[in-house]
Amino acid sequence: MAELQTQELTINMGPQHPSTHGVLRIELVTDGEICVKAIPHIGYLHRCFEKHAENVDYMGVMPFVDRLDYVASMNNDMTYAMTVEKLLGVEVPKRAEYIRVIMVELNRIASHLLAVGTYGLDIGTFTPFMWAFRDREKILDIFEMASGARLLYNYLWIGGVWMDLTPGIEEKIQEFCDYFEPKIDELDTILSYNQIFINRTKNVGVIPLDLAISYGLTGPNLRGSGLKWDLRKNEPYSIYPELEFDIPVGTGEQGTVGDCWDRYMVRMREMRESLKIVRQALKKIPEGPFRAKMQRVKPAPGESYVRTENPRGELGFYIVSDGGLKPYRVKGKSSCFTSISCLDDLCHGAMIADVVAIIGSLDIVLGEVDR
Amino acid sequence: MKSYFLDIYTGLLSIFKGMLLTLKVAFQRKATIQYPFVKRELPSRTRGRLNCNIKDCIGCKLCAVACPVDCIYITTVKREPPEEIPLTSPESGAKQRKFHLPQFDINFTLCCWCGLCTVVCPTECLTMTKEYEFSVTNQKELVWQFGDNQRVGPKESTS
Repeated sequence: MAELQTQELTINMGPQHPSTHGVLRIELVTDGEICVKAIPHIGYLHRCFEKHAENVDYMGVMPFVDRLDYVASMNNDMTYAMTVEKLLGVEVPKRAEYIRVIMVELNRIASHLLAVGTYGLDIGTFTPFMWAFRDREKILDIFEMASGARLLYNYLWIGGVWMDLTPGIEEKIQEFCDYFEPKIDELDTILSYNQIFINRTKNVGVIPLDLAISYGLTGPNLRGSGLKWDLRKNEPYSIYPELEFDIPVGTGEQGTVGDCWDRYMVRMREMRESLKIVRQALKKIPEGPFRAKMQRVKPAPGESYVRTENPRGELGFYIVSDGGLKPYRVKGKSSCFTSISCLDDLCHGAMIADVVAIIGSLDIVLGEVDR
Repeated sequence: MKSYFLDIYTGLLSIFKGMLLTLKVAFQRKATIQYPFVKRELPSRTRGRLNCNIKDCIGCKLCAVACPVDCIYITTVKREPPEEIPLTSPESGAKQRKFHLPQFDINFTLCCWCGLCTVVCPTECLTMTKEYEFSVTNQKELVWQFGDNQRVGPKESTS
């Protein structure tokens, strides 16, 4: 019987697979039901962002930056705007900083809602997905009031924000905060502590801390492995030092530290923290100008790099200026790209059904992977 | 053995809790609207289809420069001396319209709705309307003309 061997079979997953969150193709080498190797093939959504950015002026890059991580556009905008501001040496007015943080944290909630909802969908439950989108819609309504768009906002501009907050939007945000807090508990009941969900995600796709660090994972994927690393605390930017919030980390509550459930739960808990931040910022928001006065965006020759904490991890922009109206070079450092690079290590030895769970727990957005 | 039954018990309990919650939500107000029949009211800042009031346009081409996807095409012809230079409307600053604008086309297949062109417009003649339902079956119909003495709408009507 010892000579009995099964043949390894290579199968193709994606790019049109519903659980790959976009257009990701994975080459799976399977041994029966076990996945031996998973090779991600990227590039289906490549839009030449970096080359494109060299051919438009600094302000014109903003709409393209929106389209990197298209479910967290505000965060991308903020990172890019901060990089150019560092290059220009412009100080952003206090009110603009507060508006930015409110928008960014709301977008973090929206992004995590999408991540959590679609993760449930990947695992095989449909209701949380609908509930998550119902609540996300309320955030999008707020964004639409402020910026006029629902997905690609182009609202946080270089030197501040595009327009001041719409009258009445502060009450609407407050209303949303009060509405949303119990909804997280509902999501917890129906999804997080559902026994089927726990059994599908615990001890699956475990990322030990040393592996996470060696791959350079950031964001919830790193925090799920138990390291308290958040750029909002560790390298404070904007007005985050003035605000109080905690950083949730994975504790291995249901299984091992760094499994899919931990990464998922970090996102759930981060939503509560974001709500806390939004509430504080709403209370403290000062009056004043919403955009710094500046002539035109024409930085002196030089370079700058700024990284911020996005919902999916660390997003950094490296911009080189040659003194002209257009950037000489724009490089985006995306967290999704690093997340996807460790897919092979995670999928080795996992069941094929778990591959879907692992991809979902990494929460990748292909727009940012391919750029 | 004990843990086996405990597993079944907690599993059933968690599912029951979830089902109870679903039942509660089922009787709440619906979150969806019947779209083509019922339409949502859009906020005042909505960035929909661009509209150009050509009578206020001074032909500065700032919008075409600001556009990151180059979807605005403008041709200007200078008004020669014997011709009188008209002014734009008083609301937009009564500026001199020194150019004829035989072509002011916007290609909506390229437009990315970023709104950067509306911000730079000195006379605020280029605005974003709330209109969002203008899908067509032929993409040639998405090139709109706004030029002098032109009918505002698709440049080429294929239907």
